[in-house]
Amino acid sequence: MNSVEIRGLSVRVGAKTLVDGVSLDVDAGTWCTVIGPNGAGKTSLVEVVAGIRPASEGSVLISGRPIARMSERERARSVALVPQHPTVPSGMSVYDYVALGRTAYHGLFRSAGEGDRRVVESVLERLSLAEFRERDVATLSGGERQRMVLGRALAQSTTVIVLDEPITGLDLRHQMELLELLKKEVLECGLTLVATLHDLTLAGQFADRLVLLDRGRVVLDAPAGVVVRSEELAQTYGMRLRVVDVEGSDVVVPVRN
Amino acid sequence: MTANPPTTRRVAVVTALTLVGLVVAVVGGLVIGPTSIGATRVVGDVMSRVGLGHSTLTSLQSTIIWQLRAPRMVLGLLAGSMLAVAGGTYQGVFRNPLADPYLLGVAAGAGLGATFAIVQVRDGLSTPTWTPLLAFVGAIAAVTVTWLVGGRGLYSNAATLILAGVAVSALLTSVQTYLQQSSLGSMTRVYIWLLGSLASASWSSVDLVAPYVAICIIVCVLAGRALDVMSVGEDESRSLGLPVRRVRLIVIIASSLGTAAIVSVAGLIGFVGIIVPHIVRLLVGTSYRRILPISVIFGAGFMVFADTIARTVLAPSELPLGVVTALVGAPVFVVILSLRRRSAL
Repeated sequence: MNSVEIRGLSVRVGAKTLVDGVSLDVDAGTWCTVIGPNGAGKTSLVEVVAGIRPASEGSVLISGRPIARMSERERARSVALVPQHPTVPSGMSVYDYVALGRTAYHGLFRSAGEGDRRVVESVLERLSLAEFRERDVATLSGGERQRMVLGRALAQSTTVIVLDEPITGLDLRHQMELLELLKKEVLECGLTLVATLHDLTLAGQFADRLVLLDRGRVVLDAPAGVVVRSEELAQTYGMRLRVVDVEGSDVVVPVRN
Repeated sequence: MTANPPTTRRVAVVTALTLVGLVVAVVGGLVIGPTSIGATRVVGDVMSRVGLGHSTLTSLQSTIIWQLRAPRMVLGLLAGSMLAVAGGTYQGVFRNPLADPYLLGVAAGAGLGATFAIVQVRDGLSTPTWTPLLAFVGAIAAVTVTWLVGGRGLYSNAATLILAGVAVSALLTSVQTYLQQSSLGSMTRVYIWLLGSLASASWSSVDLVAPYVAICIIVCVLAGRALDVMSVGEDESRSLGLPVRRVRLIVIIASSLGTAAIVSVAGLIGFVGIIVPHIVRLLVGTSYRRILPISVIFGAGFMVFADTIARTVLAPSELPLGVVTALVGAPVFVVILSLRRRSAL
């Protein structure tokens, strides 16, 4: 079953077309990563999927329902977002930050209930954040902070999570840790992930499917192993690339001209 | 900053101390004045009104307490709590630490309305009746125009609304200044009104504004949770399921209506709306669920305290209330800021 369906999606800002007639389906319980050079339209595409940017044309369906017709609360119960540059408000505790993910489950003026608290506690445990629960979010390291932002998305209890460059600014170990965590959520909880990544090696190693985007259009949409070894990948980036097999994993290496 | 947000115990202590301060300010507001009346006799009179003991106040003293000081004190409570909570909600909804209740044109609109009423007295309009009415109408009209010019919150972000408020305020202030300059005979009265005062407070003015102000304060306090969500920005708030435009509209309506009601009977009392939420934030952290209710208490006590100073220091003359709120508030803010910095080192 398709969890995310994108139909003829275009995004324009003034005369500039950022996304141009993109159509793709993402199966439930799979990980789809959008790759492409800067300015390819990756962020615009995932922002429409997350429902924070309107489409100029076309539509996005989450579990068969058009996202444009959902209220904010309905949308937040269907799809969660891990933004590229999340705002981390100084002075807020880690617990309160993760609990923001429950906003869509209680009314505008109502407090969180026992059910909400259970969900937040469970997320804190799963992401090893429980020991930081009372800490000021501004005092966390980059890796801890990114886990916390993921925790907020998981607390939304959605079937789909959209991640825009989730490993930006993290060192190698923390990049791997976060991606492994995400993979675990996909495999164990049946989550559907739509992500953007710049690192082609990590994109190929973790995603089930890669969508190569260039100037707003889909160049190639195929299983990860196929895309990283394709001619189109090097052509799109305008450079020579080599793919090396390291212990069964594809590693994409740029080659100097 | 400290490593962790303030504990529940710290918040409880601050709340308790703020409540004690409020009680002291209220008692002080009733007993302090040119006519000296002891606190125990005032408390005895209050008890006698609920059937406990008997009052020792003379009829003149009773009139001074209950017809002059009490309505003024109650209006001060309402004004202080409304301006403080409105400032806090504006700072949250616009994510702007410099926001105050007058941000979207309430002050300029009310100023123009009041000036028009005062200047037109010679044409037969009755100032006591028309000044609050036109001040209220002017305040609401100004915010409405700002809302419409700023894109009705539909396709605009908070910055657009703030800029619209700046533009509308500038326009209305220029018209108000022209009206004020064109009627030199009324200039002093206009000037006094602009600086704010509770001198004309009566039970009828309390009755007039209390219901609206009470409802607006409740709505603003209840919006604290939504404002905490908005601290992550508009896009992220929307992705979390918060109807950002609806929250903004509700907060603007409640803050503007309540502020307009206060301004209509007390003039433009400055500083409270911007400084009280910041003082409270320094004491209990950044969560609006804590800042807003404690600002209500703190603002109420602070205003009554400032008004007591305003009406006694130069008695029988009065200092403008806006001058006292700034003179008292600024040092308090600086002291708390330096104490917090020292404790964080």
